Amino acid sequence: MKSWKPVAKAAALCTAAMLTLATLVGAADAQDKKFKIYLSLSYSGNAWQSEAANIVKALAATPPYDQTVELTEVISGTDPQAQISAYESMIDAGADGIITFPISSTALNRVIKRGCKEGVLFFTYDATVTEPCAYNVSYITSGFGENTAQALVNELGGKGKIFLSRGVPGNSVDKRHTDGAMHIFKQYPGIEVVAEYYSYWDDRTTQQETAKALAAHPDVNGIWAQAGEYGAIQALIDAGHALVPITGENSNGLRLALANPDMQAKGLKGVSAGSPPAQSGYAFKLMMEILTGKRTLEPTNIQYALPWVPADKVKVCEGDRFENGCNVFPEGKVPSSFVTEVFNPELLPELSLASALEGKPTPGATIQPLPADVVKAPNEPGINCQGCEPPADLYKLTTVEPTVSP
Amino acid sequence: MSAQGNGAVRFDGAADNRRSGGVSKETINAIVVFALSIVLILGSRFVSPALGSWSQVLTVLTLASFLIVVSFGQGLVVMIGGLDLSIPAVITLGGVLTAGWVGAGNAGAWYLLPAILALCGLVGAFNGFGVTVLRIPPFIMTMATSIILASAALGYTSGTPRGASPEALTVLMKTSWLGVPAVVFFVVLFVLAGWALQSRTVFGRRLYAVGANPDAARVAGVSVGAASTLAYVASAVCAGFVGMMLVGYANGATLRMGDSYMLPSIAAVVIGGSSILGGSGSFVGTVGGAILLTTLGTVIAAIGLEQGWRTVIEGGIIVAALFFLREELFARLRRPGRS
Repeated sequence: MKSWKPVAKAAALCTAAMLTLATLVGAADAQDKKFKIYLSLSYSGNAWQSEAANIVKALAATPPYDQTVELTEVISGTDPQAQISAYESMIDAGADGIITFPISSTALNRVIKRGCKEGVLFFTYDATVTEPCAYNVSYITSGFGENTAQALVNELGGKGKIFLSRGVPGNSVDKRHTDGAMHIFKQYPGIEVVAEYYSYWDDRTTQQETAKALAAHPDVNGIWAQAGEYGAIQALIDAGHALVPITGENSNGLRLALANPDMQAKGLKGVSAGSPPAQSGYAFKLMMEILTGKRTLEPTNIQYALPWVPADKVKVCEGDRFENGCNVFPEGKVPSSFVTEVFNPELLPELSLASALEGKPTPGATIQPLPADVVKAPNEPGINCQGCEPPADLYKLTTVEPTVSP
Repeated sequence: MSAQGNGAVRFDGAADNRRSGGVSKETINAIVVFALSIVLILGSRFVSPALGSWSQVLTVLTLASFLIVVSFGQGLVVMIGGLDLSIPAVITLGGVLTAGWVGAGNAGAWYLLPAILALCGLVGAFNGFGVTVLRIPPFIMTMATSIILASAALGYTSGTPRGASPEALTVLMKTSWLGVPAVVFFVVLFVLAGWALQSRTVFGRRLYAVGANPDAARVAGVSVGAASTLAYVASAVCAGFVGMMLVGYANGATLRMGDSYMLPSIAAVVIGGSSILGGSGSFVGTVGGAILLTTLGTVIAAIGLEQGWRTVIEGGIIVAALFFLREELFARLRRPGRS
């Protein structure tokens, strides 16, 4: 190396060029002010997460938001530390709003608080945070666990051996669902939980874990499952087992199976409920209405209604949208693990199948205003508030009535 | 069997003198692992009266079939002293492409299945190229491949893999002949072929030679780079095929479908008696390792314990099995003071 001079010269030139560029970009920005919105995912790679993210992308590309919103997606992985640093960068980049699936209900509180102080709106969907300055939009408080458990107990006439196919160990959502379900099962001495396994909200894992449980307990009478439930049906079929009542989440496979006369004849009954990816779209639209001054709403916890589709309510869609009360797509149109609850004719009429699968706006659609009222969620300590008291009737049944007494 | 002995030979420099009476340590190891599996299945009656049955054996064999196939590939790579961490991503690649390109209603596109396997093989060749030509350590190289592939699959599918199982794979994974799942017959054939390839062909012997001592192998005229690359290719083809089997089993692909096979594939190889340092091992032992791990999974699933404790027990049993089965242990016990 002869001399550092050329290097220094080059560096100076580069700096000057970058400064000029930054000034130009800044000037352009001032003329054409767009809302800087960040979509922060913890991980991607399952159908649910992708559909939820695609919905937000599709809405952000639907007029008039296609002109006024600049959406940036960041996937930070399953480590809370990475999501904290992602939030930090977004705040520092001058975000107007962050819409996010938070990986932890508590670990992100400090950075969210800092963002709120700098005027950033935080909207979580599905998973929640306990920081009070964030808006939580979630179905978690709507009672998935207790209502599906009661539905299963009803189908079983109050007695029988059951499996619990759970989600991800240590996850607060899994715990809330299971606590709600056990609250019901414990009231019925005739209900015996013979196997409980973690299926990671994944079809294939559910199928393999259910197969293992079936080897030990071929006399099972019913399965209470979280997402991945279609795998439980496949495991029963693989084992040449009669079908049993199954409650699960919103997979296209479960809904088609529930309505299938052959499957019904083999003993399949149950209900499809659970986490709707459409929550992300509702959260995004709420946030944009606040940012554009169309709505005033202080940070709060907002409840998304629990989808509830028993066998006799399954209706196959003819087109690419939820129209005329339909709630499942025909076989072959989407994979069986596709999470059906991506649309909401009332809240999200802008969306079509291409929105959920590819993040594309529906041609001709424009953003429609949301209903004026939001449903406030009850307090759930550790889930959407800290140091708060849960209501006395936390696990009260909202969707289904007991038809058998304990 | 191999004339190279096992990995420990390289440390103490001794000749291969631990065989006795013509039965190799590897054979004994394989027998022990199979015996343990059988004992575990019979003993599982105490856990649940429904266990220990023929149907449990069939469940175990079906679930183990995936692990057996990936472990064959992993075993070849471990044999040459490498490690393949790209297995989960290649499984996903095979699965996503099979469901997406061939799918349920496209029976005429069967020729795409070998094309998909060839594509997976190319991924393996890329791994082999990085390890042998660029001299990147195997676990870094295969991890990088894994990240690239997983991201490509995420981008290609936008997160939602489409399609369903082609008819041929459904037949393989879902039909039974004479009360035995078709996949069990397939696995028996696969094991015979894999054993023959690993222990009865020139290619297999070259892999042993490369793993035991690459310099000596080179001197002996073995093309170390080509042999190593072929091991990675074989591993990727096996992983891609497991992706297809999983599509047949679960009637569709998911982006995380391969995740649960990386560590078990290494564990099966090591429990089966291979040295993680390369140069030794038999596929029959690996098959035993895969069956033992799967049996353990089914038995532990039946114990009504909290998930945390179940995983602790599973991990504890694997450590114990390794402790008692590792050949290095015997070697070190015999020669204290040398490592």
